[in-house]
Amino acid sequence: MYALIVTQMVVSGVLMGLIYALIAYGFQLTYATSKSINFGQGELVMVSAFFSLTLLNVGVPYWLMVPGGMLFGALLGLVVERAGVRLALEQKSEGWILMTIILGLFAFSVAENIWGRDDRPFPTPISSNPIQIFGIHITPVEISVAIGVFALMGMIELFKRKTLLGKAFEAVSADRDAAELMGISATRTIMLSYGLSGVVAALAGILIAPITTVGPTMASALILKAFSVAVVAGLDSGFGVVVIGMTLGALESLTSFYLGSGWREAPGLILLILALAIRPMGVFGKASIRKV
Amino acid sequence: MAVEAVLTTTILDRIYREILYAENKLTMWKRLLLVRGAEIVVFLLLTAIPLEINNAYALGLLTLLAVYGILLIGLDVTVGYLGQINLGHTAFLGLGAYAAGLSVSYLGFGVLGALGLSLVVGLVFGGILALPALRLEGPQFALATLSFSALTVTTLNEWEGLTNGAQGLQVARPDLFGLQLNAQNFYWLCLIFLALVWLVMRNLLSSQWGRAFEALRDSPIATDAMGIGAYRHKVAGFAIGSALGGLAGGLYAFNFQYLQPQTFVYDLMIILLLGIVLGGRKSLWGAFVGASLIALLPNLLSSRIVFQTLSILGFLLAFSAGARCLVKKKTKPFQAIAPIVAMGTLVIGSLVVKNTEDWRQAIFALMLFSVVVGLPEGLMGFASHFLAQLFRLAPPSLPEASPLDTVLVNKPVDGEALLELKNLKRYFGGVKAVDGISLSIRSGQIHGLLGPNGSGKSTVVNVISGLYPPTAGEMLLHGKPLPTGSLFKVSRVGISRTFQNLQLFAELTALDNVMVAMKGVYRSVLPLVLLGLIKEEEKRAQADSLALLTLVDLKDLARSKAKDLTYGAQRFLEIARALARKPDLLILDEPAAGLAHPDVTRLVEIIKRIHQQGVSIILIEHHMDVVSELCGMVTVLDGGKIIADGSPDEVKRHPKVIEAYLGTPDDEAAKALPASDAPLLA
Repeated sequence: MYALIVTQMVVSGVLMGLIYALIAYGFQLTYATSKSINFGQGELVMVSAFFSLTLLNVGVPYWLMVPGGMLFGALLGLVVERAGVRLALEQKSEGWILMTIILGLFAFSVAENIWGRDDRPFPTPISSNPIQIFGIHITPVEISVAIGVFALMGMIELFKRKTLLGKAFEAVSADRDAAELMGISATRTIMLSYGLSGVVAALAGILIAPITTVGPTMASALILKAFSVAVVAGLDSGFGVVVIGMTLGALESLTSFYLGSGWREAPGLILLILALAIRPMGVFGKASIRKV
Repeated sequence: MAVEAVLTTTILDRIYREILYAENKLTMWKRLLLVRGAEIVVFLLLTAIPLEINNAYALGLLTLLAVYGILLIGLDVTVGYLGQINLGHTAFLGLGAYAAGLSVSYLGFGVLGALGLSLVVGLVFGGILALPALRLEGPQFALATLSFSALTVTTLNEWEGLTNGAQGLQVARPDLFGLQLNAQNFYWLCLIFLALVWLVMRNLLSSQWGRAFEALRDSPIATDAMGIGAYRHKVAGFAIGSALGGLAGGLYAFNFQYLQPQTFVYDLMIILLLGIVLGGRKSLWGAFVGASLIALLPNLLSSRIVFQTLSILGFLLAFSAGARCLVKKKTKPFQAIAPIVAMGTLVIGSLVVKNTEDWRQAIFALMLFSVVVGLPEGLMGFASHFLAQLFRLAPPSLPEASPLDTVLVNKPVDGEALLELKNLKRYFGGVKAVDGISLSIRSGQIHGLLGPNGSGKSTVVNVISGLYPPTAGEMLLHGKPLPTGSLFKVSRVGISRTFQNLQLFAELTALDNVMVAMKGVYRSVLPLVLLGLIKEEEKRAQADSLALLTLVDLKDLARSKAKDLTYGAQRFLEIARALARKPDLLILDEPAAGLAHPDVTRLVEIIKRIHQQGVSIILIEHHMDVVSELCGMVTVLDGGKIIADGSPDEVKRHPKVIEAYLGTPDDEAAKALPASDAPLLA
């Protein structure tokens, strides 16, 4: 019985971890092309979820809302790139960290005032009545999270490998200067990566909303863990984020099971600081050679 | 007749110099009076206010201003000087606050003891976090500090047995040596601490430490290569900043006498960043202005009419500045337009929105956005340019340059082997960049290192100077093994280098670039630095650095920022900086690369002068004429191996060298080689 409870905790933790992995994957997309990430990504997740909820409320059917929300996420991603990142990258400074924090703060405040501070349920046609598999309870909503995460990540990876645009993306990631000399516009590729990152964040919001409900602070805890996952896995390994994300999710639910739910945030943070101390380039990251 | 003329000119000359001296003295006094005077006036005013205005609310604001002042001066060390985005400063504020509160109630500490503990707690936790986190740069560092901050709040919340968790902790304010700390006395105590922190940090930041902080922001690699030590300064800087955060926390606890973990979350961090950015980075005054603004901010926002006026003023400022930049095309259009849009949004918001308190964060965001984009140096950065122009403040005068012989002591040249490489190898994966090189550099010689691109010259130099550890082989300096794999350690044993791709400290002046690398002048321990008792050393370092700048003909540009120098001057400045290490062996990595012809001639002169001072030199160079003129000995590399060795003339005729540079006669590719490569061997 005890083993079953622990397994149950691990399984639901892992499913939650997939969401961390998805958001962390969004960090990787932009980091690959521009060595920058959006520190306001949590707000992007939240605002996209609110927007999707509004779409549902005005009568858009669920399956149309999903692409609509993702498109909105892409737009927000582009705004972040234009308003927060491009100037700093041109100046070769790290000003984008502060700029994206500022944009996130703005989005947070606006969302709070438009949609209110209360958490709201997010209706979904997918059932949340648990079904039993080998004695473990899983809800179809949780399964939809897993399917959604893998489907989107798979599609983006395919896109990067199989299409010309995707190859341009990879080229800029590998060597920005060389890619520019070959006639690939780095600026446009970075825009593309921020757009994709926005899509990823929006989907993460839509997938998680039925479980966590929608509110201004829905992503603030989520995003810290996604940061941890991205850094622990290394900011350049797509496979890594999935592994680390699931591990962290499992660790978390075990921690809250044994120590109480207040300590839920702790493993991610400790893992992050440990990883930085022991392997700064990330568990799955590659060390780079300093050149002068 | 002639004698008289000479006499008059000497007298005139003398008078002229006296006037110049007096004027110098005058500007120095003017500067001192204005800068120090302003500090004294502000502190006197702050001290006197409570005597005149006996208002509990105003006193509360002033106390908060002093506390925030200390907090922001600490934050400025990491954000301004070290140039790292630090999102964990509130954690140190919280830790310091709880340390003070708990030490009073559990350990019976007095006020000063508790504040001392807060400081130490900040210092220790700052150090602990910095050790791993500062190996990272950019986003990872920001994330690590963010996580630390979140972890701290979680712990304070959950460790209920100690901190009373979310319920909050009552803090008693004990008497200070029998003096009851009422609101007014406590305010004065905070003010004393602010003044002390101000003095100490001014001393620290204007010393070698401050220069080192800025240097490593611009180029960590060069900071190590100049023997300054990037990592230790980073950790020290972060720990000092955090210690001030802890101290501010202690004062914060005694001020509010009630603590809750939720106070120290991310929202407060944003406000602190707003203060630093708005006030101006890398400036004590900036931190002070920022602290006043964030202490007053809630009041400014709560009064509708004040807020509207302010936002309209802000909009007009952004509009006029933006329009001017657009017309003059000084900046990118985005930099001019974005602040106007943001401030415009703020104005519309201030007119439309009913309750500004609900929109607090959006208002902060818009203000921050406008400042970061449109006024990156902050209010004080902007004002200090303006004030310096208004009062025509000249920079403080410089001492006479030391005689060169006292800076670069001419060591006897014995012609013995100085540096020996034995079968040195360095592989990168399967690439054998350096593949078994044995070489002896004799003292007092200029040893040329030649070879086509990719022949391994730079890798050899990078291995010697410690950037990469060797894969195999031995390196001996003066017959003793050379430290490997650490730029810092190699620099400390007497090898100094320049970089092919310039690694100057761009934001520092030419003089500071040399001073920060100066070896053997700075001996004072940290406490003396903090007390400002190092004027003698500073003068000496300035004089010595000026001597080196004179050597490379840059004396007149001593006060220019390195980034504003011409390309040629930057190359020469790197040489002067490398000489400040007083090296036995100087490695010049393609110093003539990209230089115009007159500069190449100057370069040759400079290298000759350095050589006359008894410094041995390894010269990596492509210009054959430079090598022929300077080098007594030349080694040619190709494919990571030595292909020729000897005097420049011997080497030039060596068939393998000709082959390496021009290819063999029946090599098709060689024939297609453009003619411009031929003068290499002219």
